[in-house]
Amino acid sequence: MKPVITIEKLSFSYPGYSDVATNALQDISLQVAAGEFVGITGPAGAGKSTLVLCMNGIIPHFQEGDFQGKVLINNRDTFETTCAELSLQIGSVFQDPEAQIVAPTVEEELAFGLENMAIAPAEIERRISEALELIGIAHLRLRSTDELSGGQKQRVSIAAVIALRPQILILDEPTSELDPIGTMEVFEVLKKLNQEQHLTIVVVEQKVNILMEYVGRLLILKNGALVADKSPREIVNQPNLLESIGLSAPPVSQLADRLKTAGLYTQELPLTVDEAYDGLTKSFAFAKIERV
Amino acid sequence: MISVNNLSFKYPSGVEVLNDISFTIPKGAFVALIGQNGAGKTTLLKQFNSLLRPTTGRVLIAGIDTSSATTGKLAQKVGFLFQNPDHQIFMANVEREIGFGPKNLGLSKTEVRQRVARAAAAVGLTPYLTENPLFLSKGQRQRVAFASVLAMKPEILVLDEPTTGQDYQEGLEIMEMVKELNEQGHTIVFVTHDMELVARYAKRVIVLSQGRILLDDSCHNVFYQPAILRETNLFPPQIAKLIQKFAKQPFEFGKPLSVDEAYQEFLKYTESEPDVCCS
Repeated sequence: MKPVITIEKLSFSYPGYSDVATNALQDISLQVAAGEFVGITGPAGAGKSTLVLCMNGIIPHFQEGDFQGKVLINNRDTFETTCAELSLQIGSVFQDPEAQIVAPTVEEELAFGLENMAIAPAEIERRISEALELIGIAHLRLRSTDELSGGQKQRVSIAAVIALRPQILILDEPTSELDPIGTMEVFEVLKKLNQEQHLTIVVVEQKVNILMEYVGRLLILKNGALVADKSPREIVNQPNLLESIGLSAPPVSQLADRLKTAGLYTQELPLTVDEAYDGLTKSFAFAKIERV
Repeated sequence: MISVNNLSFKYPSGVEVLNDISFTIPKGAFVALIGQNGAGKTTLLKQFNSLLRPTTGRVLIAGIDTSSATTGKLAQKVGFLFQNPDHQIFMANVEREIGFGPKNLGLSKTEVRQRVARAAAAVGLTPYLTENPLFLSKGQRQRVAFASVLAMKPEILVLDEPTTGQDYQEGLEIMEMVKELNEQGHTIVFVTHDMELVARYAKRVIVLSQGRILLDDSCHNVFYQPAILRETNLFPPQIAKLIQKFAKQPFEFGKPLSVDEAYQEFLKYTESEPDVCCS
């Protein structure tokens, strides 16, 4: 697969923070291939949002600072591409939906980006319906945006970006205000966009449990450095990796790990509740009792 | 003590957000209020310091009827930590931010200074007293807001999603502080979407859906009723979910919620049936 995002030896510091110890990003190199579903996690202040801002061109175009290294989107250096051009390739959903929503109604919010791309009215109509349907918020179409709940607003921001049909979707903590099922629904939407529309997805998320279940690859940042770039399975199977970074493995993985240490769990460590159930039924005899 | 009697609340637009709610929270309780986005959780919290007042019904805080009390008066009884610290912080340095409430209670300078020092120490902000909150991290700003509530020494502490925007460690640290306050006798009511945190800290859970109470029980009982939780867009913590998958097995489990509790359950089983484990 060809890389859609290439980052080479990227370091960045915000104005006023110039020594290495306070770099927001420190010597990051990675590539994201078309069609990948990548999660970014790490403690507060790790540089997760800064990395996202470097991908969508807000850094260097709108945020000053000391920028070293290269970021290429579809092989074009972000320094030589305008944010407007980048926005056609990368759709961004930010942490705070209130900072992103500009229009009085949901429908107008979705139309805003499309109108700015000079898309014909009939096509705008089609794309709004399609995006609302895809995100599961068709019923909110005529609602006023300031009457929506935090979770609804977040889904509206995602729909507005999806309507632009970007090739890459970057989301910075899109579920921070959502209830558990709302969170799962957003990740189901991302999975669908990734699998059916072949959208490349990069999502910053604090909830490790849900990342383990959905993403194909996990980048872990700490103090501006990339400390792990592996599949969720490799991460869960590497003892104490998450704990050493101040994160926590999913409870079902922890349980299986303890049972395994006690010689009672015979399978590979699980990432999800379903995998843990399978692993436990294989490891313990009570499942066999039922099968007999 | 919080006493809510047949509380209903409508916003001026006519939308009914709370519908005939009644419950009592005794002094020293540690209660989680959970429910889907838009269930009415924040609207209910705001009744506790009369930021909102009942359309019908009554809310009593330590015997004071909120429909006639001012928010200022209730602020001495109820400390309120909002979801977003930036909606609550407004002074130019940490010390003045934390001291603002106590100063407005008309306390002496010495008393204000003492309270600020204690509250700042409790949340680990002592080295930052002269800093401008603007230059602190979001996690630190959340602590500033928290300290400014602590400095009021409220009997009841109300926290609206105190760990949102915090990383895993910061979230735990905040909840550990809250737990400590509860052990000192403060009544705690907190709202969160993090069911693992609820299972870990709350002693009682009130489940809200569309302005009504669906469940009001212990964590263990609430999280073993997945069908009801689903009605309000929630699901149980991972361990409870896992154990519920074994419901149809010829096997008796308790109602574990933590990794440790679940581990003990599996261990018990192997001890009682020494030949069950394969290798």
